[in-house]
Amino acid sequence: MDIDINRLATLAKLQLTDAEKEMLARQLPDILEYINKLQEVDTSGVDAKAYLTDAVNVLREDVVTSTRNERDAVVAAFPKQVGGTMEVPGVFAE
Amino acid sequence: MTTNWTVRAIRDAVNSGSATAASIVDEALSRIEKKDGEIGAFLEVFADDARKAAKDVDARHAAGEKSLPLAGVPIAIKDNMLLMGHVASAGSKMLADYRAAYTATVVARLQVAGAIIIGRTNMDEFAMGSSTETSAFQKTKNPLDVTKTPGGSSGGSAAAVAADMVPAALGSDTGGSVRQPASLCGIVGMKPTYGRVSRYGIVALASSLDQVSPFTKNVEDAAIVLSVIEGKDPLDATSVVLDEPVAADLSLSLQGVRVGVPREYFIDGMDEDVATCVRSNIEKLRGAGAEIVDISLPLSPYALAAYYIIQPAEASSNLSRFDGMRYGNRGEGAIEESYRSARGAGFGAETKRRIMLGTFILSAGYYDAYYKKAIAVRAALKTEFDQAFARVDVIVSPTSPVVAWDVGAKMNDPVAMYLADIFTVAANITGIPGISVPCGTAHGLPVGLQILGKNFDDNKVLQVAAAFEALNVKA
Repeated sequence: MDIDINRLATLAKLQLTDAEKEMLARQLPDILEYINKLQEVDTSGVDAKAYLTDAVNVLREDVVTSTRNERDAVVAAFPKQVGGTMEVPGVFAE
Repeated sequence: MTTNWTVRAIRDAVNSGSATAASIVDEALSRIEKKDGEIGAFLEVFADDARKAAKDVDARHAAGEKSLPLAGVPIAIKDNMLLMGHVASAGSKMLADYRAAYTATVVARLQVAGAIIIGRTNMDEFAMGSSTETSAFQKTKNPLDVTKTPGGSSGGSAAAVAADMVPAALGSDTGGSVRQPASLCGIVGMKPTYGRVSRYGIVALASSLDQVSPFTKNVEDAAIVLSVIEGKDPLDATSVVLDEPVAADLSLSLQGVRVGVPREYFIDGMDEDVATCVRSNIEKLRGAGAEIVDISLPLSPYALAAYYIIQPAEASSNLSRFDGMRYGNRGEGAIEESYRSARGAGFGAETKRRIMLGTFILSAGYYDAYYKKAIAVRAALKTEFDQAFARVDVIVSPTSPVVAWDVGAKMNDPVAMYLADIFTVAANITGIPGISVPCGTAHGLPVGLQILGKNFDDNKVLQVAAAFEALNVKA
């Protein structure tokens, strides 16, 4: 199977070295060959869903339960902060 | 130290006043000091906080709290579980300096029950691996033979218990990441039914498969730890209100218990000595009065393939949060390039492999052929197990097709590494509970017997496991 490693890396927002690309180009087809055996299974008529539980729309009250300490700790863990908030690069080019 | 190094013995000693939590923690710290240089189970030992927590438990005892379920019990947690103020790196360079801003529900419940969180243990990066070798930080050795891996991905927690550094540890089991290392290290590992235990505060790998799971030296201790961490958590919508909490009394006669043995779980290519060991243990169950039922689960050969679609698909989505903005190190350049460079630098080889695989599986044109097919097989597999459990009480199999392998042996062959999970993934895909219990050796290394039960019948799994364990103690 032909896999466009560069396109996938762009979709995954992943910078890869040439060596990594070369390795993935070798390994991904092996893995896909293994998982392709699923195509042998007849699943017509199977009602499939991504989750196992029957729960739907589990709701709770929209109230703040976290503390100021937790908020400060979240901000402190950001790679860059400014004035108690997260600093991010510009989204729109100048 | 005269107390037996088990959860039950330590808890009883502290509650009765014959030992203090402080003395137990000193003992645990000295064991870790002595042994972990060679084993490499811990990424960090929380010595100061553990000593402080022990004093608190002793103060609670003095104030009249004399029946704490985990009084003074030192417990290690996998590095993907949050404890506020401490680093939780999930074995990844991406989170090497990340300090938790809150505490995971399971960890908080351990603390309330009197347990002492002693440190965080090594793991495969973001729990992706079967040998703990994809950790960005260190290799963990199997305490029974340091030339072998402890299994994975919760290999640090397994090794810490197997080497008697701690009597219990938490891991997370997404495809066998607790049962498989328990098997390879000769201890007990119990994956509860999906939804039994909260996932809040656990670094997510594959959200529909992950379940926090205890490692212990015996079945009773696993039940004690599970009884503390289980139950509905408003912060995890997939956790459920339990009709049947873990039973205090695990005693059960094996007389008439129907034990299913699926013929698909003794496969070509599995280690003959492992198969022989497991079969002889099935005969032991028969000898104790269990009714051994030959069953077939025809979709079993497809469970691993379905797993290696669902898991990378969910992982690639979950790991999209690691973008260098909220976690890790900020990448170079404008925003798009910044994402790419932060992720390229922060993730290791196996994580990149699964992100790429998951991205491929979920990409336009392949989604139906892979992801939708896999969740259809998942549903069919669940039906197949439901039908089997109409005929039997539990299903037994080997936990792993092989014993612990040499460090490094499978690192360059992803498919060979993935095959180590072949008998464990079905429980995650279908949500059912499963335990691995030591059942003997092959090639001088431990073999585990896996016991699976139907959804939320964790008690039956624990009871059969306890009765099986008692047979081996007697033998």
